[in-house]
Amino acid sequence: MTQHYLLRNLDVEGIDRIDVYEANGGYAAMKEAFKTFKPEELVAMVKKSGLRGRGGAGFPTGMKWGFLPNDGRSRYLVVNSDEAEPGTFKDRELIEENPHQLIEGIIISSYATQASEAYIYCRGEFRRGAEQLKRAVQEAYDHGYLGANILGTGFSLELKVYRGAGAYICGEESALLESLEGKRGNPRLKPPFPAVAGLYGGPTVVNNVETICNLPPLVTYGADWYTSMGTEKSPGLKIMSVSGRVQRPGNYEIPLGTPLRSLIEDYAGGLLPGRTVKAVIPGGSSVPLLMPDQLDTPLDYESIVKAGSMLGSGGCIVLDDQVCMVGATARLVKFYREESCGKCTPCREGTYWMTDVLDRLEMGMGEAHDMEILADVADNIAGKCFCPLGDASLGVLVSALKHFRHEFEAHVAEHTCPMGARLYDTVNH
Amino acid sequence: MIRLTIDGQEITVPEGTMIVDAAAKLGVDVPIYCYHQALGPLGACRMCLVEVEKMPKLATACTTAVSEGMVVRSKGPAVDKGRRGVLEFLLINHPLDCPVCDKGGECYLQDYTFEYGPGGGRFQEPKIQKVKDGPINEFVLVDQERCVLCQRCVRFMGEYVGEGQLLLEGRGVETVVTTVDQVPATSQFTGNVIDLCPVGALLSAPYHHKGRPWNIEREESVCPHCPVGCTSKVTAREGHVIRMEGRPIPDREWGWLCDRGRFGYDFGYHPERLLASRVQGNETSAALATRQVGEWLKTTVEQHGGSSVGVIVGGMHTTEEAYQLKRFATEVIGTEKLAISRSEAGYLPRALNGTFEDIKKADTVLLLGTDPYDAVPVVHLKLRERLLRYPALKVIGIGPTALTRDTLPGQDVITAPEQSAVVMALAMATQRPDDAQVKTLIHDLGSFRPQGVLPEMLTQLGAQLLRADHLVCLWDGLEPAMGMVLAVLADLREKPTPMLPTFGPGNWRGWERGGFSAHFEDLTRILEEARDGVIKTLLVFGADLLEEYPDRSLVQAAFERLDHVVVEGLRPPVDSTQVDALLPGAGWAEVYGTYINMEARLQVAMASVQPPGQARPVKTYLNTWAHILGRPLNWEEDWDPFDDDSGDLLPIETRHVEIEPLTTPPTTDAGMTLVIGSLIWEKGEPSEILLPRVPEFPGRINPQEAEELGLGTEPGRISVSQGDTHLVVGVSLDSRIPVGVLWIPQGVLGVNRLGKGPVQLSLAKEEVTA
Amino acid sequence: MKPEWKEWASQAKAEFPRANSALMPLMHRIQLVEGWLSDQTIQDIADLMGLTVQYVESVASFYSLFHREPVGKRVIHVCVGLSCALAGSDELMHNLEQRLNIKEGQTTADGAYTLLEAECLAACDKAPMTQIDLHFVGPVRPEEAETLLTKEVPS
Ligand SMILES: Cc1cc2nc3c(=O)[nH]c(=O)nc-3n(C[C@H](O)[C@H](O)[C@H](O)COP(=O)(O)O)c2cc1C
Ligand code: SF4
Ligand code: FES
Repeated sequence: MTQHYLLRNLDVEGIDRIDVYEANGGYAAMKEAFKTFKPEELVAMVKKSGLRGRGGAGFPTGMKWGFLPNDGRSRYLVVNSDEAEPGTFKDRELIEENPHQLIEGIIISSYATQASEAYIYCRGEFRRGAEQLKRAVQEAYDHGYLGANILGTGFSLELKVYRGAGAYICGEESALLESLEGKRGNPRLKPPFPAVAGLYGGPTVVNNVETICNLPPLVTYGADWYTSMGTEKSPGLKIMSVSGRVQRPGNYEIPLGTPLRSLIEDYAGGLLPGRTVKAVIPGGSSVPLLMPDQLDTPLDYESIVKAGSMLGSGGCIVLDDQVCMVGATARLVKFYREESCGKCTPCREGTYWMTDVLDRLEMGMGEAHDMEILADVADNIAGKCFCPLGDASLGVLVSALKHFRHEFEAHVAEHTCPMGARLYDTVNH
Repeated sequence: MIRLTIDGQEITVPEGTMIVDAAAKLGVDVPIYCYHQALGPLGACRMCLVEVEKMPKLATACTTAVSEGMVVRSKGPAVDKGRRGVLEFLLINHPLDCPVCDKGGECYLQDYTFEYGPGGGRFQEPKIQKVKDGPINEFVLVDQERCVLCQRCVRFMGEYVGEGQLLLEGRGVETVVTTVDQVPATSQFTGNVIDLCPVGALLSAPYHHKGRPWNIEREESVCPHCPVGCTSKVTAREGHVIRMEGRPIPDREWGWLCDRGRFGYDFGYHPERLLASRVQGNETSAALATRQVGEWLKTTVEQHGGSSVGVIVGGMHTTEEAYQLKRFATEVIGTEKLAISRSEAGYLPRALNGTFEDIKKADTVLLLGTDPYDAVPVVHLKLRERLLRYPALKVIGIGPTALTRDTLPGQDVITAPEQSAVVMALAMATQRPDDAQVKTLIHDLGSFRPQGVLPEMLTQLGAQLLRADHLVCLWDGLEPAMGMVLAVLADLREKPTPMLPTFGPGNWRGWERGGFSAHFEDLTRILEEARDGVIKTLLVFGADLLEEYPDRSLVQAAFERLDHVVVEGLRPPVDSTQVDALLPGAGWAEVYGTYINMEARLQVAMASVQPPGQARPVKTYLNTWAHILGRPLNWEEDWDPFDDDSGDLLPIETRHVEIEPLTTPPTTDAGMTLVIGSLIWEKGEPSEILLPRVPEFPGRINPQEAEELGLGTEPGRISVSQGDTHLVVGVSLDSRIPVGVLWIPQGVLGVNRLGKGPVQLSLAKEEVTA
Repeated sequence: MKPEWKEWASQAKAEFPRANSALMPLMHRIQLVEGWLSDQTIQDIADLMGLTVQYVESVASFYSLFHREPVGKRVIHVCVGLSCALAGSDELMHNLEQRLNIKEGQTTADGAYTLLEAECLAACDKAPMTQIDLHFVGPVRPEEAETLLTKEVPS
């Protein structure tokens, strides 16, 4: 398989320690960046590389950095490590196993954007992740890679690790900033966007952990190397988290454009013998299902959209023929109900309603018109919420209603779940 | 300016306007729950969906700012479906208990459901159960099941008022509006959340289950309790006032009320309400009592001439009533001895009077002796709003106590009592030492330097006073010399210097308009003439002079000497032993009339109910007396207090303020100094509804003082002595009060028994154990 | 209020000097020792931070990891995310409930364990995933409920 650029922890034991990290070329990119690049040249390089945000929306990173107004206010870089999108677990591996890579990426990104303060917003559940980060940040300070006048360059950066406390919505960048300011994690009204008025009202870049981890290799190998991988519009590497009914669940670093089938079969070891794919959630629980006839879809931003779904955060959940789609959908929609911040009506009430209907259906107590209600409730949520969380709750549901309507109907007709109202399949394990 | 089209109509609005407000200007009604112009956009309820050309999704009209050439459609299938969907969501967890909800008929949820559907429910699952009728405080109840989580209440209390006593607890569908651990909200402004709540989630406890829309009547009114004169609506049912609500005036007033005003509407039904006439202490018929007073007046005029009668107006009388009294006094009796009952000696000429609009532009606010939160609460909110919109707002307090507060931060210049005017004059002198008026002011001060005020502070203050572009002064009227100083300040400044008198009584400008003198000296002169036997009969309308006039002994002496003291009012005076006739008056909400507030703005209050018992309008008494005196009055030409040219503001008159040298204030020797302040809870007519909130410990002393007195850290009762006079008052601890000062608000019973000069404090003997 | 909280508060404020950013770090630190945030603790935190108790309560109640009820010595989270459910987390939860004789969300009478649901813990490759005092332990197959309870974790 290909060489690892982001998941080097898989190849180098103990890379979470600064000595090992440095012995394996760590912090060289940072020094290179200071030595040979002006900040604006780095921004240009990131633009040229075509790197897109890995947090879910896939927004071009260089362009985002370019939005920062040149008004002399001090800038913030905030790294989103709130990873809570069901099915996604790449950022956790990155921070737990190779924290220095992220820190090096943060230093380079802060230098490029001329941010003088950076924060890592770490998901509250990541106790070890936060501890690893804090220790690594201290090591970086001790080596003079953080703090005032780093390595005599005149560039200064303070980096702090902040822990959330259990709220998926705080992955949404403006809710994250609210939380970082010590408030309830309700999303903010936009505009103004964080680039103009973000953390403490200052110009702020928010990037995902994986996005930032791309910076050290990018500086080392250059934009041309980056664009040599992936597709024209989706260049470079992406970590896909594969879970569900595969033989080898895990994080896999793939060039964008790799077919979904290859991810499942070559990387994740394929399904259990005798099983077939029923559906795949390719990019985290917020995206629509891909069907077995779409397994050849290349995993890049454009192709997946064309196929009717999204690459999202890269959390790929594989569902085989033994999975009840009603049960699986109910489980996912319930997640959004639990995590809705409650600020806006459609998301707060709609996810509550859909969850109850789905639970009832799964228990065999559904009625014929429930599918119409679900579809209509989904339509009343779609595009009407304050932030994208409401829409995110619909991805799987709407496509399940479309492709697996017969399963819903069977639940109604048989007054029970034909698969036994359980998601666990003992034969499997 | 931005031009856009809404539903085919073109409109031009300022940049930054939200679609919803632009639509409102065109009369296009976009349904809203969470949006409120005073609070700004939130975008939570999603009810205000509209279609905007070139936008892929429906937009929320409350969060989308207008842009050039925008084309908005507020109706159509997509919009209707979207709104219907949001409504259905709001209803799924709503208890649908409209039949027993006070808000029924006044509820946005009902109105919009009627307009957009859904007709029936599709939701079969169990509803979430939450708290019903939970107390926010004595006045406000919350029904969390009915709440639509628009956050208006929480944002109002937290952001707007700055007293975050309501909170959102929990997350998602479990979120509720509540207080912490049932600790009652103590803010001055809690009742506003009832008006703000678009549904029946926040309810008025005193109004709970008292009326439905079809058996109540709502009339426009004005709050009578303080000189702010908040615009309000009065709800009446079966001849009783049962509710007071705020009444917004587009582009001028949000319709906020303070809790004192909102819930203190029951004074008309107070157990002490005077319902029958009394002559020499005995109840009698209205006809007999009125006749009797008429006879006294006749004899007095015949024996001693018209000018042996004095007339004093106070209480809640309207401008028109003052005018009627004035006509009666001059045309029937033939006396010019008319005065207003007052507690403060200061007088502000109309020419200096600013309006609340000035606060909206202010960059510097000067608080002279007045803490608006306590004295004129809704003005405090206006200042808060200015601070929120203009965070650089400078607030300067000058007085014997600190006047700025956490919710209105600023800088305090703490002066020795009675020295604020001197401090102001000296501050002005640092900037304009050669100005003739300034020179006059400080002529007699010699080398006097105010205690505790450093020379740099004077210079800084002087510079701020003269340089501020938009200075607004609020003045409590307690140091009369300040009037002169303010007139000089206005002359010195090149820019306008709007001033707002925060002193009462609420309608003093109205009575002035009606022909009564508002000058304190005129009131004093009448009392002195009564004491000296020149005035023989005193007609007092709506005032309790013994309690209100700062020097109680003068009133006492006058009453003793007078042949006849006639008092009209809603309640008998606290001490009516010297009163010869007591006549029940008709009051607020019982008569139609005009009130003129501290902005000099004329506002009309409608009559909602009939006066109870023998209570009758002023005119009725006057007619009888005029008849007895043989000079019937002709009311045919109705007098209108409004002025054709100045609209609902009083016409501006040229001002004459004589500038005289300020006198050196007496150097206070050690010992406690009594400072009289203003607290809305101690003013106006008493209310039973308010009882639980009327402060048990209205006085204030510095915590250090309390410690030394042996009070510890808790409020308690102390005995205040001055010579032979003793008074027991409840005091609370307040670090804004300097050491050496005892602060007591006007209206605390008996406080005007104490005069100027030092007082001695000791722990009250019989500690009340509740 | 414990005497050391003052020190912790000033440390948090020194590290996160702006807005109310020191609030959550302080709540985390106190909860780590106390296990949960009582009404009194919320009041104390408000005092230490110079915030109103309403504000602190409102923030605390938003985040699922701040416990406003007493918890057991060990707080066990079982992930109920889809990937974990596909690997048997419902059954694991059921077994734990049986074994501890409590329902999800409850604490055992002896105060030893609190059993809670977690949303996707970002560890789906090791489903079913659990946490003991926020330390990842997984995969834990349903039949391994018993071993989970006694599993050693760093303090
Ligand atoms: C409900 C919601 C949850 C999100 N969760 C995360 C997350 O856990 N991690 C993340 O990096 N981005 C998350 N995002 C996306 C962020 O808002 C933001 O786009 C991203 O952090 C930007 O970084 P990137 O440009 O590097 O991708 C979430 C967005 C939404 C709407
Ligand atoms: S109580 Fe009323 S005002 Fe407050 S959030 Fe609920 S609906 Fe809005
Ligand atoms: S009024 Fe626009 S979202 Fe509530």
